[in-house]
Amino acid sequence: MTTQQLRPIVSVFPIKGKVKTIKQVPLPSVFSAPIRPDVVRFVHTNMAKNNRQAHAVSTTAGEQTSATSWGTGRAVARIPRVKGSGTGRSGQAAFGNMCRGGRMYAPKKVWRKWHRKINTNQKRYAVCSAIAATAVTPLVMSRGHRVNKLPELPLVVSDQLQSLTKTRQAVKFLKFIGAYRDVEKVIRTKKTRVGQGKYRNRRHVLRKGPMVVYARNLGIKKAFRNIPGVETASVYTLNLLKLAPGSQMGRFIIWTESAFKLLEDIYGSWEKPSKFKSGFYLPRPVMVNTDVERIIKSDQVQTVLRNRRPRSRKYGKKIQRADPYEDMSVMVKLNPYYKTKLQKQKELDEKNKKERKEIVDKSRKEYEDWLYFSEEEEEEEEEGSDEDREIEVLSDEN
Amino acid sequence: MSKQVPETIKKQVKRSFNSKEVKKEKNEKRVKLLKEIQSKAFKRAEKYEKEYLEQEQKLVELKQKALKEGSFYREPEPKLAFIIRIRGIVGVPPKPRKILQLLRLRRIYSGVFIRLNKSSLRMLHFIDPYVTWGYPDVETVRALIYKRGHARVNHQRKIIDSNEMIYDKLQKYDIVCMEDLVHEIYTVGKNFKHANSFLWAFKLKPPVGGFSTVKKSFVNKGEHGNREQYINTLVKKMI
Repeated sequence: MTTQQLRPIVSVFPIKGKVKTIKQVPLPSVFSAPIRPDVVRFVHTNMAKNNRQAHAVSTTAGEQTSATSWGTGRAVARIPRVKGSGTGRSGQAAFGNMCRGGRMYAPKKVWRKWHRKINTNQKRYAVCSAIAATAVTPLVMSRGHRVNKLPELPLVVSDQLQSLTKTRQAVKFLKFIGAYRDVEKVIRTKKTRVGQGKYRNRRHVLRKGPMVVYARNLGIKKAFRNIPGVETASVYTLNLLKLAPGSQMGRFIIWTESAFKLLEDIYGSWEKPSKFKSGFYLPRPVMVNTDVERIIKSDQVQTVLRNRRPRSRKYGKKIQRADPYEDMSVMVKLNPYYKTKLQKQKELDEKNKKERKEIVDKSRKEYEDWLYFSEEEEEEEEEGSDEDREIEVLSDEN
Repeated sequence: MSKQVPETIKKQVKRSFNSKEVKKEKNEKRVKLLKEIQSKAFKRAEKYEKEYLEQEQKLVELKQKALKEGSFYREPEPKLAFIIRIRGIVGVPPKPRKILQLLRLRRIYSGVFIRLNKSSLRMLHFIDPYVTWGYPDVETVRALIYKRGHARVNHQRKIIDSNEMIYDKLQKYDIVCMEDLVHEIYTVGKNFKHANSFLWAFKLKPPVGGFSTVKKSFVNKGEHGNREQYINTLVKKMI
């Protein structure tokens, strides 16, 4: 079902002596449950409402007057006003939420729905997600836990931890395993609460430190009780509000070996249901293999894809182009014949010009010739004999 | 220490459709095609020049012949018109509005070519007060397409900056270059529809020197309606 059919091995550490692996246990299937912050957030916000205490405003608050409106015509607002006289209170506005000493808008009632029902499966889904997140170091670190010095996450420790009775022993163990840095953080950042909770018996605010999960309480509860920030929990009753405080997944958990092993039974797997939660199987992830990039790049996918369509860059760019009638290179690109055309036109013009010139020259010459000959004729006219003159005179007349 | 190239990237490069070899091949093909297109463009432009010249000369010949015989030569009715919208979009009644839309004259000073037949003449009749139109000559058609010709490509208006653009779209109608396009439009050939719809509606500038009055028809010393060959001078002022 999952990519993790082979379950990885987790080391079990002792509680004192040397930090070395004394045993190895397989990772329970819960840690491969899908990590769903959206589910956790939803369940957390609703679960957190369940430890609220009812509160309300007094039913009679602001209503304990017999105020009546004065009506119109008195140059005052029409709000009900306190009856009577002889006191400053008389004539004052009453009842409205806007009035001083009036009842609030929509007075809070005790029968407000304080608690929320959440579907059991959703609750279990959230818890599985939260448990899975405790094994993811980046998530634990981003939650703010100081886990740099730990030998391993998830941190599983020998069952001897369950038999600790003294706080001193507990602290020694935490220091030994490298978890004390988280406790130090808690101690260092203890502050007075901001707001009115400080004088309502909630004076100090502490961070959350490591959580110790056990299978059997043989003194462990009392041993860790007084260490600031550290919480203990039985593996049978893991609380989402503790696993993902503030709906932020990745609590730093220290598991005892038997608690760790019990997780497989309590939450089951995808093949085997839980032994304690009837009919419950681990939630299935939407994607089995989330390495999308690798899937896409794999041979199986790539060989079946069609060719990538080329990005038509020529139509993509906004093309500026000069006016072809001003820029010859643009004109020639569009009409390669243009230059030739111009040349031909030029030749034709020149030819025509030449022809025209010839014609003009010819006709001019003819005219000049005619002019020349007529001059000659006139000269001949003057020089000629009388005999000829008569004839010529006649001819001239003709 | 040499950098290890991840296997996925190696595979990707091998598989890549944009690898250097493929790109090179594609480029070579394209260059070859461009050369072909340009050589065709040259030959066809030459052919069309001759054709236009012959047409002119023929017309003159026939007219002279008719004159000699003492009869008249009736020129064939024009097949092509260029319409320019000269009124804005405010206050146009629905019928002319629709017709202007159909003719792609959606804004003022936009121009389109249109084939003249009975149906289109009827349409022009309705939109006469909003447009001016006439019979463009070759040089006008050329100027419009060269200077203001934009192609409709991928539902976008792109300036025609190479014959390749025309080839891509109109190759199947045997129009591969600018001169082909001009010829198809001017002579209203078989694929006039496709050539014309390839062209986006021309966006012209307001005329240099202005209009006299758009409210009157051209015949009445105004501007709208049919102005036959005077459309050419108008386009010169608006191009």
